[in-house]
Amino acid sequence: MGILPVAISADSPEESRNNLIQQAGLTYPLLSDGKAEAIRRYDLLSPGAGVDGRDIGGTAEFLVDTSGTIRWRDLNEAGPAAFMEAAKVVQ
Amino acid sequence: MTTKPWNWRLWAGFGVSVLALLVYAVLLQTTRSIFWGSLALFILAAAFLVSGLRRLFAQPQPHRGKVAGFLLTAVSVMIFAVFVWGVFLAAKYFPAAAHAPQVGQKAPEFITVDSHGRSVALAQLLTTSITDSSGVSRTPKGVLLIFYRGYW
Repeated sequence: MGILPVAISADSPEESRNNLIQQAGLTYPLLSDGKAEAIRRYDLLSPGAGVDGRDIGGTAEFLVDTSGTIRWRDLNEAGPAAFMEAAKVVQ
Repeated sequence: MTTKPWNWRLWAGFGVSVLALLVYAVLLQTTRSIFWGSLALFILAAAFLVSGLRRLFAQPQPHRGKVAGFLLTAVSVMIFAVFVWGVFLAAKYFPAAAHAPQVGQKAPEFITVDSHGRSVALAQLLTTSITDSSGVSRTPKGVLLIFYRGYW
């Protein structure tokens, strides 16, 4: 369907590689938002909630179309079926 | 043999408390509004407990039954306390995101670093070329930003 998934967390690039890319074999981009700046802009901050006390982001998904507009979002409430409906919207 | 008419209400109060906590724990990952369902169940449990305790006090005799009755009530109150603690934990780990960008708004720009240390901005992702299974290269119709908690 031509949708590029990217995963964003406050993990560093090394942590993402060691945990998910190397061990789990994930192939889509894992982006590092080390200072939780993107997380803050999307209002997803869980301050100090990381295992070592770092600021991390809560789970959420945003589908962005080619014009940069958000077409669907899930603040950890909906499931995969709702996403499939939304994916059709940007086709 | 004495009958104990208060018995079932206190057990019902205890049982509904356990159910309320389980429902919250199990369904919290699915929807945050399960909080209201659990709260409603706790109110029902409280009604059973109050009603059962009233009947318990109306009994003139054996205080063995009363001890059990108080124990059931105390455990139910502790279960409710665990629920309250869980609600505070949930607020910490699942932010309410009241000001998260809405559908129809522009997705806020950001710059992140990929696993090779290269800087990646949202605008770049929207113009990245992806190759599909038949080898055709094109730009994506959309980008799905998946924010996750990370592992640290």
